[in-house]
Parts: sequence; C-alpha cells; structure tokens
Amino acid sequence: MLSRIADSLFWISRYMERAEDTARILDVNYHMMMEHSPQAHRLRWDPLVAITGEQERFSAQYEQATPRNVFEFLAFSPDNPSSILQCIASVRENARTIRDRISRELWEDVNSLYHSVTRFQPEEEMVAGPHRFCNAIRFGSHRFHGVADDTLAHDEGWNFLQAGRALERAEMTARIVDVEYHKLVETAAAGDAAGNQQWMAVLKSVAAYEFYRRQYHASIVPEKVAELLVLHAQHPRAIRFNIATLQQSLRAISGSGPGSYANEAERLTGKLHESLMYDRIEDIFGRGLHAFLADVQKACRSVGEHIARSYFYYAVVP
Amino acid sequence: MPAQQAQAPQDHLFRDYELGPFFDEMFAAPGQPRPHYAKTFHELAGMAPGQFEESRRLADFSFLLQGITFTVYSDGQGTERLFPFDLVPRILPNSEWQVIERGLSQRVRALNLFLQDIYGPQRILKDRVIPRSLVYSCHHFHRVMMGVEVPRGIYTHIAGIDLVRDSKTGSYLVLEDNVRTPSGISYVLENRQVMTRTLPRAFQQHEVLRVDHYPAELCEILRLLSPRGVENPVMVLLTPGIHNSAYFEHTFLAQQMGIELVEGRDLVVDCDIVYMKTIRGLTRVDVIYRRIDDDFLDPLAFRPDSILGIPGLMGAYRAGNVTLANAVGNGVADDKAIYAYVPAFIGYYLGEDPVLSNVETYLCSRPEHLSYVLDHLPELVVKAVGESGGYGMLIGPEADRAALAEFRDRLQANPRNYIAQPVIALSRCPSYDSRTSHMAGRHIDLRPYCLFDGERVTIVPGGLTRVALKSGSLVVNSSQGGGSKDTWVLRGEC
Repeated sequence: MLSRIADSLFWISRYMERAEDTARILDVNYHMMMEHSPQAHRLRWDPLVAITGEQERFSAQYEQATPRNVFEFLAFSPDNPSSILQCIASVRENARTIRDRISRELWEDVNSLYHSVTRFQPEEEMVAGPHRFCNAIRFGSHRFHGVADDTLAHDEGWNFLQAGRALERAEMTARIVDVEYHKLVETAAAGDAAGNQQWMAVLKSVAAYEFYRRQYHASIVPEKVAELLVLHAQHPRAIRFNIATLQQSLRAISGSGPGSYANEAERLTGKLHESLMYDRIEDIFGRGLHAFLADVQKACRSVGEHIARSYFYYAVVP
Repeated sequence: MPAQQAQAPQDHLFRDYELGPFFDEMFAAPGQPRPHYAKTFHELAGMAPGQFEESRRLADFSFLLQGITFTVYSDGQGTERLFPFDLVPRILPNSEWQVIERGLSQRVRALNLFLQDIYGPQRILKDRVIPRSLVYSCHHFHRVMMGVEVPRGIYTHIAGIDLVRDSKTGSYLVLEDNVRTPSGISYVLENRQVMTRTLPRAFQQHEVLRVDHYPAELCEILRLLSPRGVENPVMVLLTPGIHNSAYFEHTFLAQQMGIELVEGRDLVVDCDIVYMKTIRGLTRVDVIYRRIDDDFLDPLAFRPDSILGIPGLMGAYRAGNVTLANAVGNGVADDKAIYAYVPAFIGYYLGEDPVLSNVETYLCSRPEHLSYVLDHLPELVVKAVGESGGYGMLIGPEADRAALAEFRDRLQANPRNYIAQPVIALSRCPSYDSRTSHMAGRHIDLRPYCLFDGERVTIVPGGLTRVALKSGSLVVNSSQGGGSKDTWVLRGEC
C-alpha cells in the first residue's frame, strides 16, 4: 500500500471522529445551557473551545465566548481547521485523493455527506440551534463507519482507518475529562446540582449517560464518571477501549504478536495500555488526574508522530 | 413536423424543432427520422417534457453523487460543476462505424510509424515528404528522445482522434489528433451507465455495442510493456493530482484497471530505477501510464520548476528500466501544422489511401498560405499549433474587429505557431434545451479512443460525443461550455 494512501485513510477517520466529537459536545452543551443563567455562559463556553484545543484561534476571531460565537466557530468557521465543516471537507478531500482505493459506496457516502453538510446555511442554523446540524454530523459519522466496515476489505488500509479513529477518540476523551474535571473542581461545583448536571452533559456528549446509569445506579459521582471514561474496557468512548483498539490495529498492520512490538508507535501504545489495564482510578487520582490525562494526551500525540514516521514519511532519498 | 405523429402528445419535446442548414444526425427531413434513429425518436417523442426533465434531473444527481465534477476557480472559492450530460444519444449505424474504425486504425498506425521514424532514421525527412524545419521547430519535438528504443516500438498507446461530420458533404473529417494524454474516456463509460439507468427503454430497443472493456484492454497493453520479464509487473497511473480537471478520470481508470494511482511525490528514482513509496518500503515500478504532460514529467530533463514530476524519471526511461505510456515526445505528431501531413504519412508509410480526410488546412509558415489567411481571416478558424482544449483559437465569423486585429499581429509575428482552416459546419444532433424545455439542434463532434499494442489497433465502439450546448456555438470543449452525449454504435443498421 502506498504510504500516501495509508496516510489519507488514517486522517480520514481522524477528521471524521473530530467532526463527530465536536458535534456531540456542541449539541449537548448548547441545550444544557439553555436552562442556565447568562452569567454561567462564560464558565460553560470557554472550556468547550478548550476541549477542541483551538483557544488561540478563537480569541483571535471573537471577543467573547457567547453561544453564538462558539457555535459558529466550532461548526462553520472556515478559519478554524477543526470546525466541523472543515473536518468534513478534509474527509472528502482525503477520500477524493484515494477514491480509486476505497469502495464506490464509501466514496459516494462521503461525497453525499459533504454535499448535505455544505447545504446548511450557517445563519439559519444559528437561529435554529445546533441540534439539527449536529445530528446530521453524528448520523453521517455512524453511517461512514457502517459503510466502511461493510464494503472495505478488512486489510491494512481498513486498519489504518481504525487506528485513526481510536487515536483521535482516545485523545478527545482525555481532553474532555481533563477540561471538565478541572473546571468543576476549580469552581467547587462538583457536588452541587449544577455540577451534577454538567457531568450528565459530559456523559451524554460521549454517549455514555445511559450506560453510566446502568453501571453505577447511583447519582453522578465525578470519580465514577472519570473511572468509566478512562478505564472502562468495553465502552467504545473510554480511553482504555480505544487504546486497546489502537494496539490491535497497529499489530494487525505490522503483524507483530502479543508481548512484542515492531516500532515505537506500538511500544508506546502497549505501555499506555498496560497502565490503563492495571491502574485503578484511586491510583490515578493519587498521582493527580490532570497529570495522568496530560500524559495520555502526550502519549497519543507521540504515537501519531511515530505512526507517520514508520509508515508515511520518506524523509531522505535512499 | 413530428407533431403529426398520431401517438405523440400535444406538446412534445420536438415541437418547433428546426433542422437549419445543417446535417441533422436524427432527421433526414423535417419530421422524418433516419432509420437508425426511428425507435429513439418515437420513444422520446412519446415522453412529456416534464417526464424528460425528471430523467434529466436523475442523471445530473447521479453524476453529482459520484463526484463526477470539475472545479471552476473563477469565483475564488472553487465551485464544482457537472460536465453537462445530454440524454439524447448519438447513434451510429454499424456500416458508418466500420468506415471510421478503418480510417482511425490506419491513421494511428501511420502516426506511430512517423514517431518511430522521426526519433530514429528520419527517412521521411530525407525523402522530403515533410519539411525538416517544420519538425524541428515543433515545441513538442524532444531531442532527448532521439535514438531511444521504446518497448515494442509503441509511441501512441492511446490516441484520441477528433472527428466531425461536415454538413456540406455528410462525411466525416479528422479535425485533430491527440496522441499525448487524451482524456475523456471515463465519460464514455459513465455516460453509458447513467444512460442505461435513466432511459432504459430507449436503450433496450437497440442492440448497442458495449464499451466497458476499455480498461481491461488498456491494462493488457500496459502489461505487455514491462521492461522486466516478470509475470505481474507493477503498473501505476501517474496523475498531476486532485486539482487537475481530469482527476476523476485518473481515479476511475486506476480503479477499473486495479492499478495504483500515484502522484509524483509517491515515486522516487534511484540508480535509474523507479520506486514507489509504500508502507513496507520502496517497491519497484515497471510501467507508468502517465497523465502528466512531457514538460512536467522530470524537472531534471524538462521544466525545472515542475513539482508534479519525478527527478531522474527520464534517465530511468532512457535506460529502459521503466516504460511510459504514451511515449515522450509524441507532441510532434499531433502538432496542428504536422497534422496537415498525416494523409501523406499514410501514403508514405502504409502505401494506402486515407480512409478519412483531413479538414483543409493552411500552414501559416508557408508565405503563400499566410497571405491567403490574412486576406480571409473573417472566414477562417485559426488555431495555435501546440494548444488543445479550445484554447488559443480564433473563430473568424464570430470574432470582433479587435480580436481579428490581434490575431493578425500574432500570425505575422509567429507564423509557424498557427494554422487556419475553413469553418466547418458541424452536423447537429437534437439536444435538450432546459431554457425552453424542448429539443433543439446542437453541433457535435466525436472523439473515439484508439488503443495500439504494436500490431493491432483496438477502438471502443463509439467514443465521446461532445456537444456545444450553447445555441449556434461550434465549440464543443468542456472548458468552453460544452457537454457530452452517450454514443451508440449499433450491431446492425438500425
């Protein structure tokens, strides 16, 4: 497989995941905020931009984190490379460059998602609220993975898709937990009703609310939420689940067996997976949740770089 | 008028249809379809305009969904446009096609022999069949190709030869040869697919020859060209990339042939061997179906500013370690001034009479032709010899004073760069005019695609029919507002 094609597949699913995650966060928080006082907005909207890691760009474009500004920035802004619209455009652009290598079904799916997303009129949507738009993205992303799983051979190319999604999602969940936990602890709101509601929003934004209720029966406890989102082995949004998927995909690509690794990306992934498997949430809190999640994010970035080095880049002509 | 047809509804698609002073592909006389068009005419005439409009939308949507679009950058944003598809097919009875096939096959063989000769012994120059200066002054004549032995002696693996039907005589003429990187075949295949889906009934009434074996035929030829005696040579299609207007075609052909689609940055040359960069390291490449122009192939040999090409590729090619299709330097054969000599090539190399005639051509490099051209500019079409796609062209009867004056200056400054031809009244074919929701006659041409394996020329029946959708326009190029039609070659006569 050409390195460029593997590179594109990897990024197609990263962008798709980024679009979906952003849509989820935006949708859930926007509607939760409707029930709050305007003073609370700042508290709520600043972190949202922080989760996507684009604070600098945001403050360059806007004075205030109003719902409208944040909505526009996260959903439509052409100047935000992580805006949902830009992510979907990048998905399509990447898919176009490899359309001879993906199934016709997958290409047509990506292409029609792009066309349906660009048909949204930002001004209209800003009045209507983000639900309609975000739903379209969520469905689009689900459909994308369904079509990919059902029409592509599950070969190395498909494994690059899996790896891209798992890596992006692990990093995103780490950032969500990090930012939210920080903010709620800082404002000492963790225990009260408002805090409770915000944790519910976090769970909903990663499709884990119902699952949490079933797992823990109890009221929303921040430590439990963190445990679920960081350490759960079966929930598809949990960090551990995604690092396991990533490890599996990378091994499928290189052909290395358990207990061994073929490159630095695999070594780092394996090491991270070990700690997620054997650490308890108490251990993590003991060392500091923020420090732990910062390490996770750092490891994710590093794994991404090493995947590129092992498979995508040819720095020097032989 | 066809409104006399008993079963046709009151307001049918051919209401007010005018033949004009042109050869009409569908009608022999007003209301009288030619025998091979009768069934299709009745099918279309039986449709209400609304019903036809519905089919048309369906076809457009299908092209949009598949992303068969080209990008227009004039608005700064990059708007994607559909290459307009007209649902009324262009139909050729088998006997007519056989003449075309014979003529093209002969022409392709002669062009290939010319290239072998011109980059080899140059007998044709010594025998003074064509002036030496005309060949050497051609921008696309590449000295770097002198003495290079191309595999199996093939230069013109793929040729797209543009034909028009002259309304005056009703016979086909060759308008130009394209033996560098002709494009459009993907539209032939996609048009057929969309056609059978949107107007299945009209299609089923005929036995139409298939076109979908083109990629397999091309792939077979590429396989023959491997410089290594390996059973499964590594073949790739080299594209300039996503911003090229023919990018869809590149992906389409790569996928249909099951070969890798590569960009220049995916390839690297080391010690005259070409490799592609894969996730498992470097893999040797044997055959490159390149869709990049000569000038951009290798910055070391041609344009040093090319970022699309691969440094060292020409070295590998000349060393015989990789095969390029089409060969480098073919532009000398489809130069519009050299074109005037192709009928002579056919006689010289094959000892045959040309089956298909050329359009009468004035070479501005000849002083007596130049003075005629300058005297008759408003009646002529002037073309730059090295251009294609409808660029660098003057259509005398449509040009204003300023344009005529400009071309007059250009012709005098650089006569070798221009040829002139009389305006050919291209035949017309009914085409849907969405403005009036009815059929109107529009000028068409035909570009068949010829594959050459060194011995035999294979031509997919039909080719791309391009249509000038603007009323009265003679320019069929997509860059100039043209569209296309599905082309049906019938197994029989009707």
